[in-house]
Amino acid sequence: MQNALVPVKTDGAHDELIQLVSFNLDQEEYGVDVLKVREIIRMPVVTRVPNTPHYVEGVINLRGKVVPIICMRKKFGLTESENDKQTRIMVMDMDGELMGFIVDAVSEVIRISGSEIQPSPAMVAGGIDQECIAGVINQAERLLVLLNLEKMFSRDEKNLFTGM
Amino acid sequence: MPPIDCEDQELLDGFLTETTELLEKLDDDLIVLEKSSDDTDLMNRIFRSIHTIKGASSFLGFDLLVKVAHKTEDVLNRLRKGELSVTPEIMDVILEATDLIKLLVSDIKAGDIQERETEGTINKLLPFLLDTAGVPKAPPATPQQPAQPAAVNVDAASAPTADASPAPAAAETAPGSATVPPDVPPQVPVPKPASDAAPKKAPAPPKPAEGKGDDLADNSTVRVDVKRLDDLMNQVGELVLERNRMIQINQDLQQSDANRGDFNEEFGKLTKRMSFVTSELQMQVLKMRMIPVEKVFKKFPRIVRSMSRDLGKEVDLQIVGEETELDRSVVDEIGDPLIHLIRNAMDHGLETPEERLEAGKSRSGTLVLAAVHEGNQIIISIKDDGRGIDTERVGRKAIEKGLISEDQFAAMSQREVFDLLFLPGFSTKEKTTDLSGRGVGMDVVKTNIKKLNGLIEIKSTKGLGSEFILRLPLTLAIIQSLLVEVEGEIYSIPLSSVLETLRVDQRQFHIIGGQEVLKLRDIVLPLIRLQKVFNVQPRGDADNFFCYVVVVGAAEKRMGLVVSRLVGQQEVAIKSLGNYLANIPGIAGSTILGDGRVALIIDPVAMTETE
Repeated sequence: MQNALVPVKTDGAHDELIQLVSFNLDQEEYGVDVLKVREIIRMPVVTRVPNTPHYVEGVINLRGKVVPIICMRKKFGLTESENDKQTRIMVMDMDGELMGFIVDAVSEVIRISGSEIQPSPAMVAGGIDQECIAGVINQAERLLVLLNLEKMFSRDEKNLFTGM
Repeated sequence: MPPIDCEDQELLDGFLTETTELLEKLDDDLIVLEKSSDDTDLMNRIFRSIHTIKGASSFLGFDLLVKVAHKTEDVLNRLRKGELSVTPEIMDVILEATDLIKLLVSDIKAGDIQERETEGTINKLLPFLLDTAGVPKAPPATPQQPAQPAAVNVDAASAPTADASPAPAAAETAPGSATVPPDVPPQVPVPKPASDAAPKKAPAPPKPAEGKGDDLADNSTVRVDVKRLDDLMNQVGELVLERNRMIQINQDLQQSDANRGDFNEEFGKLTKRMSFVTSELQMQVLKMRMIPVEKVFKKFPRIVRSMSRDLGKEVDLQIVGEETELDRSVVDEIGDPLIHLIRNAMDHGLETPEERLEAGKSRSGTLVLAAVHEGNQIIISIKDDGRGIDTERVGRKAIEKGLISEDQFAAMSQREVFDLLFLPGFSTKEKTTDLSGRGVGMDVVKTNIKKLNGLIEIKSTKGLGSEFILRLPLTLAIIQSLLVEVEGEIYSIPLSSVLETLRVDQRQFHIIGGQEVLKLRDIVLPLIRLQKVFNVQPRGDADNFFCYVVVVGAAEKRMGLVVSRLVGQQEVAIKSLGNYLANIPGIAGSTILGDGRVALIIDPVAMTETE
């Protein structure tokens, strides 16, 4: 048990093991904390919701719950692409509310230690809001952008959602 | 006053619950008493209520409360024995005392006992305790005696009996304390004849009392009839059975024991039973949330009484259908609008006795408050036989206040004039009084009814009276809805707001000031194209001139929603869209259709406002 051998510090420890779900978006690889991911589903029928920001794809029925769906490509200003067999919705827990994010593909759950996370270089990745980038993980064979989706919507955007 | 002793918390809770219930009943009873003063049972019940309150509060050491209750009891006792007769003046004072008691009880409830001014009320009570106060109207009062063997010793010794009332609900207590003026005939110990049962029989849920005591009861808990709970359990049992049956059918099919025909038949039966059980279940859960509208209605007699005294009008309030049940959430919201409507009817609608006689009507006016179920709606109407709405006067006022122009008024139908009443700040009163004149009332009515997805209708004939009709949905959780298609997208419109649907040729639409309208009988209906409001991509067939118009109403407003097709009517459960998508204009929520897709529910209220 590798897990047990790692010394765990409680106060923002750098050596703590973190599990991430990695997903692809326009040839880049991203990761989010596995604890925030509720489930990963294929594309169901999405009902469009009028008069919302363009990146709000609509709502879906997730076993009796109505969950809003955000298109990550649109949100990050990437080129849009057709949904294919690989397209998935990651249903995330956002401050107690469920929200789904459309991604190109979900690849795996990886385990990294906190020390591997580097602060993101300024001016990273064109359209992505700096706010929600929690760091970059630079491993030999891959580069992973760690996202904090709870910070995805700025206060203004939240107001936009609710105040329009 | 002594601080509340925490050890006695349980006792105190019991006391508060009991007292609250008694006080609620008391209000009602007192009003009825005024009308039927020779009702011995009623009189006794009132007396017992006050007596119990007094006993309990003295036990717990709430001195102020005891003092007020005691004096009230003394007066009631004299009434009961026929030494005084029921007059409006006495009732005024007794009601005032009851209010004071409520106030004191709510202080206790809040855990914040204050030194309240009680002398004023007590002093008003005192005159009635003097021997000279009321010469009994001898005959009508006496027949009570047999019913009440204990109340004979009217002229008994004048020495005040020592305070011997420690037990809260104790059967006999000897009221009276050192403060009783010596010239008051002391109360005779009254054995309570099977008393407490009566007021408690009615399982009254905690109800807010009128006025100051408003916060006496809270609404966070529900009392449910055990029988209803049993029924619910039964239904859940049924559901479990059906589930087992379903598992069985599935297994049979897997093992291909059953042929296709059998399966179809079995599954068909199962579906039927399931749908039966679930709809039963739904009804029952709904019923648990239901409370009789009486909860709201019951405070009105008191309000009407005090208003009629203030205004010098004679009013006969008739309440019909107070047992009609509706959802708690709705009940909580309709109280205020109803009070305003009643005030209006009393103040504007009904005339003074002189005016009525002059107009050839009976001296006292009639105010009918009625509630009735109609399909999935409850209809509450407030009807008076007063002077009716003077459209001319309403119009003048509106012009005066600059709300409409002279020309606009000339073109207005009666209906549209009535709609003016709902404008904020509108009032026909010259002078602002306690009761009315600020022009807030109808606005409150409108806002609350809108919130509930309800409709308001006004019927009025000048000289004969007016009627305000409120149509409200029974519940806010599951609604009947009309599914419509807008260029391929399905939307749901609450059926409670739908007045009618029409199939029309788009060439019949007119445009007035950039707004599309449809002439529908005598009204000009503003139209909203859902396709435009919701930015739906139009689909091909533009040469199809026919479309459907769904006429919706929110409070007093009417308008037409243009859709491509009507899909059907369905009962749907409302699902919230979550925090992020909470306030999308025109969308009230969402629901899940039979095929698992999400359909958005249109908010007719918001629609009428975006216009």
